[in-house]
Amino acid sequence: MYVSAIEKAWSILFRITCWAILVFLILPIFVIVPLSFNVEPYFTFTRGMLHFQSEAFSTRWYEAFVSDAGWMLAVSNSFVVGIFSTLLATALGTLAALGLNKPLPMRSMIVSLLLAPMIVPIIVLSAGTYFVFAKVGLVDSYLGLVLAHATLGLPFVVVTVLASLSNFDQGLVRAGLISGAHPTMVFRRITLPLIAPGVLSGAALAFVTSFDEAVITLFLSPSPGYYTVPRKMWSGLREQISPTILAVATIWIALSLVLMILMGVLRRQSAKRSAKPVRLREAPAS
Amino acid sequence: MADVAAAVYAAPENTARQVARSRRIEMRKGLLLLAPALLFLCFTFLLPLGYIVRLSVYDPTVHDGLPRTVEALQSWSGSGAPDEQTFLALANDLIDARNAATIGAIANRLNVEAAGLRSAFTSAARRLSQKPPDDHYSEWFQKSDPVWGEQATWQAINQLRSAISANYYLAAVDLRRSASGIELAPEENRIHTTLFARTFLVAFSVTALCIILGYPVAYLIATSSKLVGSIMIVLVLLPFWTSLLVRTTGWIVLLQSQGVLNDLFVYLGIISDENRVRMIYNLAGTLIAMTHILLPFFILPLYSVMVSIPPLYMRAAQSLGAHRFYAFWRVYFPNTLSGVGSGALLAFILAVGYYITPALVGGQSGQMISNIIAFHVQSSLNWGLAAALGMILLSVVLILYAVYHRYSGANYLVN
Amino acid sequence: MNTDTRAFVNFHEVQKSYDGSSLVVKSLSLAISKGEFLTMLGPSGSGKTTSLMMLAGFERPTGGKITVAGRDLTNLPPHRRDIGMVFQNYALFPHMTIEENVAFPLAARKLPKPEIATRVKGALDRIRMGAFAHRRPAQLSGGQQQRVALARALVFEPSLVLMDEPLGALDKQLREHMQMEIKHLHEELGLTVVYVTHDQDEALAMSDRVAVFNNGIIEQVGPARAIYESPETAFVSSFVGENNHLSGVVSSVAGDLCTVTIGEVNIVCLAVGSLKSGDQAVVSLRPERVSLVHDSDVYANSVKAFAKEVVYFGDHLRLSCQLEDGQTVTMKQPNRGGILQTSVGQNVLLGWQATDARALPFEGVPGNG
Repeated sequence: MYVSAIEKAWSILFRITCWAILVFLILPIFVIVPLSFNVEPYFTFTRGMLHFQSEAFSTRWYEAFVSDAGWMLAVSNSFVVGIFSTLLATALGTLAALGLNKPLPMRSMIVSLLLAPMIVPIIVLSAGTYFVFAKVGLVDSYLGLVLAHATLGLPFVVVTVLASLSNFDQGLVRAGLISGAHPTMVFRRITLPLIAPGVLSGAALAFVTSFDEAVITLFLSPSPGYYTVPRKMWSGLREQISPTILAVATIWIALSLVLMILMGVLRRQSAKRSAKPVRLREAPAS
Repeated sequence: MADVAAAVYAAPENTARQVARSRRIEMRKGLLLLAPALLFLCFTFLLPLGYIVRLSVYDPTVHDGLPRTVEALQSWSGSGAPDEQTFLALANDLIDARNAATIGAIANRLNVEAAGLRSAFTSAARRLSQKPPDDHYSEWFQKSDPVWGEQATWQAINQLRSAISANYYLAAVDLRRSASGIELAPEENRIHTTLFARTFLVAFSVTALCIILGYPVAYLIATSSKLVGSIMIVLVLLPFWTSLLVRTTGWIVLLQSQGVLNDLFVYLGIISDENRVRMIYNLAGTLIAMTHILLPFFILPLYSVMVSIPPLYMRAAQSLGAHRFYAFWRVYFPNTLSGVGSGALLAFILAVGYYITPALVGGQSGQMISNIIAFHVQSSLNWGLAAALGMILLSVVLILYAVYHRYSGANYLVN
Repeated sequence: MNTDTRAFVNFHEVQKSYDGSSLVVKSLSLAISKGEFLTMLGPSGSGKTTSLMMLAGFERPTGGKITVAGRDLTNLPPHRRDIGMVFQNYALFPHMTIEENVAFPLAARKLPKPEIATRVKGALDRIRMGAFAHRRPAQLSGGQQQRVALARALVFEPSLVLMDEPLGALDKQLREHMQMEIKHLHEELGLTVVYVTHDQDEALAMSDRVAVFNNGIIEQVGPARAIYESPETAFVSSFVGENNHLSGVVSSVAGDLCTVTIGEVNIVCLAVGSLKSGDQAVVSLRPERVSLVHDSDVYANSVKAFAKEVVYFGDHLRLSCQLEDGQTVTMKQPNRGGILQTSVGQNVLLGWQATDARALPFEGVPGNG
């Protein structure tokens, strides 16, 4: 292919620009990691760090994190609320998606309602939830947080399970039934395993949504006993920024990386389970 | 048999009923499966939203608390102070309010409309309970506080005469009622319209930045080799999966006056130590951080659109004599427009509702609508105003989503 | 129609409607004997698949009833019918191995594990897929998947087996091979098979009886030979096998035979159905029953035509001959060595026996088969 000198120069410039933008994307995440090992309580690189002197680095902020009762409580709260809200969202969302598979009146309205928590601006939902929960005593409570987070996670589960179901060959259900299996057995041994990747990726998204959630939690958790990790980070960032936050952030980045990989694996699983039989070339005598 | 074939067959009567019946059974199964999720959402989603709607229009404090006054004001001319009857009505209402302990709420509510009314009401109520005059209420009131003779005071009361009103909505767009109808609040008080304007401006700028920065990157990823492309995708995905707060923390660390970037600039001699660049806790901070957060939302769908364009098109164009850029502009680019459009719309919709980022890095000049809604909920406790602002925001978002839905079909949510 | 209550499978005036107003299956009455191989043949939309689905229990008849061995199936759900079924796209469970797929019906019947293992092994060996027991369906070819689907349908020894166009996705050679294999299984195991297909060659090759479906009713049911050689309606004659259809008017009827005027020519045919003088008729004539003659006394019918088109097919020449009134008759001239004489434009004399031409009542069937 003929490429003139000008075109080549443009091409190089183009690539450099794009990589610069990619660096822009990764920079804030990248910069946190080394800074979390800074021995000094500064949010910037010390001379010692830049010269890679080992005395300039320390794990003191990680130790501070682990030994801080407030942070540990926040971590435990985040996981407790995360797990329970995920279970709730997954159960409700999977049932809802299965229900949507049947003929229904007002179908698009029902779908809109199920997906609405994703669309409504979070501040509006947070304020409303706060007002209602305050009246029924669900502020500063685990139940309140679980319910609110499950509401946010529900749409994700519905979307992923619906996607899985759309790839699901209903003929398999018929094959299972005529083979003598009771409908519950067909669901348990045929439908569920095949939509499992969809259910699991929905659950993963619901968990991430809950774990990262900061706005509703801001309203529903005024007291430190019910802080989640984002809530505590928020206080830290607003009021007094301690480098412990960098340690927390780094650990969180690692978790996100794990989740990202998990989602990739799940997606590949889902493709494998897609019930479209692969036809190889026919062999005449076998 | 031939005549059987020739006969015109219509289904017997009960067939339609049977068919309808089996359809109903299927429908019932579906609704049963949906019931738990729908009931759940009724409580955790519809109820809160319904409450917000109610709060935004339901303003019963004055209507319920000063009933006689409200009624008496029906015959008020609208200018100057009202008649003696009205003052009498007010006196009775204030005594009742004091006894029912609602005077505080009433006074607070009116104070929002016109500052200073709170003390006037509470002190008048107290003095009336202690030593009510026999007559000449008008005189009595105006002597104790000149504010009772002012038109503005009575306008404030009159504005709140109905329990259901659009007052909060008017306030939300910096409008208010006056004797001559609806008018804009004075220049210095137009916080809300300023914020709406800023919110849309920020959202628009961020979206534009996303397009400018995101399009080339998406293009490069789509046209790179598998290995390089995968690396680049990871660089886009990792921020996408990382928590908002973590990313914002990163930006604080980078953009602070004493932060990494400023240190770098000083080190490189670009700026002096005293003149560090203010890149955060202002509008710049909001713009940079929000662009960073929304960029993956724009790049990823655009990338999948681009990847589905066969490279054959470009080659065909070039074989027909098109210069490379021309081929790109006339052949490739139009095919990606749908991805650009839907990505941009999505980014805009998300940007409009943002709260955390402007709150953390926006400072004063970078505040957006969500922030003032939170302020009204938590600090000024003007819940009605917060609700009205929220409803306006919600309506804007819903309209945009309707456009988005029509424009790009239903699969926008599947990542 | 035989609605013998001693029949094994009985459709009794079965009707099916999806929308409550039009009928997909209009009034189906059919008796199938035990051990019979019955094929439901017809074009798409004729109601054959729907009838099969009603027998399986996946669709509910909106009228009439279906019985198997005297038992009314109307309220019996599919998983309790004890019927084996092979689907068009095989419907093998992609997340299970071949072994697990075939074992599934036995596991559903809660048989003890050792017995399941033995039976599965036996079933896989019978279809010669024992070596593939631990593979997944996606790793098999279409033909192999089809055999596994068969094995799964038969492993619990059902007395009735349904097959919904199972060979549609296979290539010609494999399809013919599988047809024989299914036929052998049918004979070996003494199964009753109800088979659905739109391929009439397949129907004729495999079945004891064929039921020809059209627009929700059975136009004719009978042994393959009868369907092919003695079609009773114009649809059946056009759908099964290649056929010439000549339009004409009945001029006289005498017992079994009748005379039909086609253009200027009178031909003697078998009268099928109730035909009267003056009726519009369609004469159905198999190409292989038409011969080239030189002497007009050899056959009851000899008609002048000219060869419009001549195509060489290796084992025969296919001639499209145009009659004087413009209608076309296709015939096959076998290749017996020597010189093939017919060329395009040549005038020929076509002859056939009276009994080879069937005059059927006109039903609006389009011209030529």
